[in-house]
Amino acid sequence: MALDLSMPVLVVDDYKTMIRIIRNLLKQLGFDDVDEASDGTEALGKMKERRYGLVISDWNMEPMTGYELLKHVRADSGLTKTPFIMVTAESKTENVIAAKKAGVNNYIVKPFNAQTLKGKIEAVFSD
Amino acid sequence: MAPAHPEQLAKIVDFLTRERRDLSLDDVMVLAERMAETLDETVARVDGLLHDEFKAIVGEIAALRREIGAVRPGHMRFEKIPEAGRELDAVVEATEVATNAIMEASESIMAADATDPDAYKALVDDKVMVIFEACSFQDITGQRIRKVVRTLDWIDVRLASLVKSLKIVEDDGEAHEETEEERRMREQILHGPQHVGEGVSQDFVDDVFSTNDQADIDALFR
Repeated sequence: MALDLSMPVLVVDDYKTMIRIIRNLLKQLGFDDVDEASDGTEALGKMKERRYGLVISDWNMEPMTGYELLKHVRADSGLTKTPFIMVTAESKTENVIAAKKAGVNNYIVKPFNAQTLKGKIEAVFSD
Repeated sequence: MAPAHPEQLAKIVDFLTRERRDLSLDDVMVLAERMAETLDETVARVDGLLHDEFKAIVGEIAALRREIGAVRPGHMRFEKIPEAGRELDAVVEATEVATNAIMEASESIMAADATDPDAYKALVDDKVMVIFEACSFQDITGQRIRKVVRTLDWIDVRLASLVKSLKIVEDDGEAHEETEEERRMREQILHGPQHVGEGVSQDFVDDVFSTNDQADIDALFR
């Protein structure tokens, strides 16, 4: 799967500042089409209306967590192949393993930097 | 004189009834007085025991009232805890305001036209000052958080004292009914941020994601 900078990216986080940070980092990396959602439910609704090339999601949100969103996405035949990166402060081993088992493409531990985000996005699209 | 037992008195009455037909009124009066004295002492003895017991109970209740009073439940519920909540809300708000100011200044620098070096430097200097000023939020939020910590300490000390007074023994093995919130946290694997050195590193995560072989992943945990 090739990395296409024009693809729409959905950033899911309940903290507006984090969305703004990720949006700016993505802009620096060359992504211009960035959409946002404040939790899994809103993200799922948007994903059913528009095909996103990449989802970057936080884990701890209400009412629907990023983990639940990931499982919904992987269980939906129309969305199952959407690349999904988890960006979270949940850094316990069981979280990492659970996310991998649920089918996440990559996992970034907060706090992170632009280089890490860039590296993980590139890794997802080089697989 | 030692008080006679009721059984002994009953025997005397019985004897006098059977053997002393010429029982005088004085005899009966003396016997009645002895019986009354005996009953008084018996009642006094039981009453004394009950009195001591009730006194001890009253003492415990008074001590408990003092402990509960020291906790100042109304003060805790209507002042201390809401005040701590307001302090934390203020911390969140101040952090957001500062972060927004820093991000706006940074975005201005990133979007600035660098073709005119003098104008660009003036703009960068101006925005850097905005960032410095915004960073001062940490002084205030630090003080607010210390107030919240003091409140938590205050509650901790008083609750510990109350638990000691009530002689409550915590049974860690006691079955605890899971709350709705606890169930969600368990099912959604929500731990919140870990402290420095407690969570896994990005390198560890990268190792996990560098392979799809379960044996390789298992090896990371050995």
